[in-house]
Amino acid sequence: MLPELAFDKLGADLLLAMCEGHGNVGPIVISKGEKMAKVRTDVPYQLVTILTNIYPFIGQKKLALLCRRCDEKALAELEKRGLVDEKRVLRIGLACSADQIKACRCSDPVPSVVHIGAPGKPAGEDELMNKLLAMPSEERLKFWTAQFRKCNKCFACTLNCPVCFCDDCVLEERTFVAEKGIPPGMSFHLIRTFHLSDKCVECGECERSCPAGIPLLTLRKMAAKDMKALYGFVSGDKKKVSPLLTTLEGEPMEDECHEC
Amino acid sequence: MTEFEPTILAFCCNWCSYAGADLAGVSRLQMPPNVHIVRVMCSASVKPEYAIKAISQGIDGVLVLGCHIGDCHYMTGNHRTAKRFPVVQKLLEDVGIDKTRLRLDWVSAAEGEKFQKVVTEFVEDVKRLGPNPLKEVRF
Amino acid sequence: MARTGVFICHCGHNIASIVAVEEVVKFARTLPGVVVADHNLYSCSEEGLSAIKTSIKQNNLDRVVVAACTPRTHEPLFRKICEEAGINKYLFEFVNIREHCSWIHAKEPGPATEKAKRLVAMGVSKAALLEPQAETESSVTPTAVVIGGGLAGLTAAASLVAQDIDTHLVEQEGEIGGHLSRVSVLAPEFDESRKLLDSLMSGLAGSEKAHIHLRSKLKDVHGFVGNFEVTIDEHGKELKIPAGAILVATGAQEFQPVGEYGFGELQGTITQLDLEKMLSEGKAPNRTVFIQCVGSRQPGREYCSRICCNTSLKNALRILDLNPKAAVTIIHRDIMSYGTAWEELYRRASERGVRFLRYALANPTKVTRKDGSLLVEVYDETLAERINVEADVVVLATPMVSRENSGDVSKMLKVPRDKYGFFLEAHVKLRPVEFATDGVFICGSARWPSSAKEVMCQALAAAAKAAIPIKRGKVIIEAITAWADPDKCAACGNCVTACPYEAVEIATQDGKQIAKVNDAQCKGCGACVAACPNDAMQQRGFTTRQLGAMIDSLVKNALEAEQ
Repeated sequence: MLPELAFDKLGADLLLAMCEGHGNVGPIVISKGEKMAKVRTDVPYQLVTILTNIYPFIGQKKLALLCRRCDEKALAELEKRGLVDEKRVLRIGLACSADQIKACRCSDPVPSVVHIGAPGKPAGEDELMNKLLAMPSEERLKFWTAQFRKCNKCFACTLNCPVCFCDDCVLEERTFVAEKGIPPGMSFHLIRTFHLSDKCVECGECERSCPAGIPLLTLRKMAAKDMKALYGFVSGDKKKVSPLLTTLEGEPMEDECHEC
Repeated sequence: MTEFEPTILAFCCNWCSYAGADLAGVSRLQMPPNVHIVRVMCSASVKPEYAIKAISQGIDGVLVLGCHIGDCHYMTGNHRTAKRFPVVQKLLEDVGIDKTRLRLDWVSAAEGEKFQKVVTEFVEDVKRLGPNPLKEVRF
Repeated sequence: MARTGVFICHCGHNIASIVAVEEVVKFARTLPGVVVADHNLYSCSEEGLSAIKTSIKQNNLDRVVVAACTPRTHEPLFRKICEEAGINKYLFEFVNIREHCSWIHAKEPGPATEKAKRLVAMGVSKAALLEPQAETESSVTPTAVVIGGGLAGLTAAASLVAQDIDTHLVEQEGEIGGHLSRVSVLAPEFDESRKLLDSLMSGLAGSEKAHIHLRSKLKDVHGFVGNFEVTIDEHGKELKIPAGAILVATGAQEFQPVGEYGFGELQGTITQLDLEKMLSEGKAPNRTVFIQCVGSRQPGREYCSRICCNTSLKNALRILDLNPKAAVTIIHRDIMSYGTAWEELYRRASERGVRFLRYALANPTKVTRKDGSLLVEVYDETLAERINVEADVVVLATPMVSRENSGDVSKMLKVPRDKYGFFLEAHVKLRPVEFATDGVFICGSARWPSSAKEVMCQALAAAAKAAIPIKRGKVIIEAITAWADPDKCAACGNCVTACPYEAVEIATQDGKQIAKVNDAQCKGCGACVAACPNDAMQQRGFTTRQLGAMIDSLVKNALEAEQ
């Protein structure tokens, strides 16, 4: 069913999916006509992150990938910035299971077209976020500093993030993250959150891959709440320009120049 | 116990707020000596990362001053500044740092008095907040 | 490792009386990279500059930091000295310890000195990371555009044309002259303004270099010094004029005191320009009362409009010339007849029977109609008595106020205005006829209400300044443009969107997509730098490492001091 969908119906040359192989489950690219591996739709992973890594090597080929709602939104953010050609990335809509939705505290779990799985209901709110917002700021700061102390700059969060597209991350240098060793200071996490504020799709990959168990998804959700409150902005819509790149009236900057 | 004197970093744009600060000086308008100005060409060039870095390293307050909306020497530069900094303020709040440690305001080249007012007010506000709690945090 | 020289200026006692200069010098010597630290009485003087030059050569310096006044005045001067001493002029950093320190912390010399030290340390840390830059040149369009065809505009245009410079004069009315053609006699000489207008026009009308556009308004302005494109609307037709310099000579307008002293309701209450019309027709009232400072020198409009007292003195004498038996009273709150000639007119007016009564804001004057005449009730402060004066005409001497459309002009040219709407010059003393924006100049009442003589002086000064880039034929573009590090750039396009001048585009270089900045278009605002997520975009002279180092320096010095 999946190979016909990808290669015949959608016309892809390549399929990217989580598959069994070598006694493990990992992201695998299957070419048209190649022997099909066993696809596992129950193992969540950010395939868009893998896509951005292999994108320079697929030439003009069309690639289909299993796309959850967050993957779809991540693709929209990348396409908006001209980093991925939407005509060559084909989506196979994958609906997340109830357990997956709960783990992500996901409020937007259903992709625009569902090919695999049954559409689930959105989860309740992030309880930790609500707890933190109700705390006085001193307690909140205590919580986050205790969490950030665990960070050892493994960069798993940035490497696995689908919308983090810089090869050379500014957090690797000492210009803005002054601390020589680990843990890095508050600036590491605040700058990351700021950079993600207009693109994070709340896929939760950062939290899942953090070896120190820092509740990063909660922090992202707090930032997303801020963007919604300040600018009515939600990531993942290809037509919405980032509010950080528009004038106060919301007009895109491109219309500005007259200086030729 | 000596009174807490905050250390404040300010970014002023060459055409408006830096000139406004100059005018305040020329007019001998007195203000507290806690503010240290970094000159930039436009408030739009002030990376939010600078404010985050400064606060993260213990600076008690960060002031970003640009031209009034509509009067930016580089047309819409200050629009960008106006969109970016509220986000940084909210993020500071989210992690438990008082967002009023970061202030964005508009001072024109003719507003020496406004510069004095903003500086004096901001120093008082930050004094009231107390030292930046990140100074005590040993990461 | 940098070899930095730090020079702290006393600026006479402007800095030294508050900031302990020698302490700052001692502190500067401890900073990384500083091989020599010294102080000067006046760094900008011949002596001071020469001392810096000598020190650069003797100590083999490759970075120079001067801590003195504001870079907005003398940065070019010190940069030139560095160049003369053999250092690239962009390896110079200016620290402001006067306008931003000694002058504003006059009662706290101790803290001011500590702050000066921290500011110097910030400057030194930035200087260590400065890179030499090469400047590019741009040609200059040998044309000037003068906005406003009144006395200021005409004088400036005549001077430019006399220097063989192609000049376009843009006037919104249907005829040239502005207020000059509405006022027939100019004092204190009592010359006919017609003669002045004719002489200015003859300089222009005969020349093929002069282009006068009547019924024309400024529509749009783009570009930078030497390379402006000025778009005007010439009674319905759009015209684009390439120009090297722009002069603002839009003048001011007479404040109409609606609602004050019965203006607009009582017959016979008029403004100075209304009186002017009467006098030019040879009509002089029998009984005239002038009320000075109507709408000026009071809350909301605190300034003195400079010319109103003298205009009233002039007109009082003209009334008496036309009607020797006329009764003239001037009610005032100080007669501002400054200078050598005007005081003379004040005395002459008094000798010829003009009565001067002083009033105060606390006891306002009342104007009503009684039995066919106007009745002016004034409380004379000197006599401490209420005096009633009957009049046929009450002249309300109102201030000149900024033009209604000055806001539009200011936005189009990107030049600032003060709180009264008058245009704001770059520096009151050092740059009085130009704006901080290079290539745009200001003269006449558009800056502040001025007498005819003063307007002409300013206009000649502005024309002289405007001629400089035009005659030179080239302008140097300051090397503060942006560039993208091709190794870091992720081609996300933020910078392209952020740039107000479309100076950045995503292009392919060595097979990779990266952002590229067009240096000629780049205005050096740095908006792209702040939009760039991974530090690829940098601005020359304001790199993230340089500014980051300044922050680190402040953190070190201020926070260490706390412990």
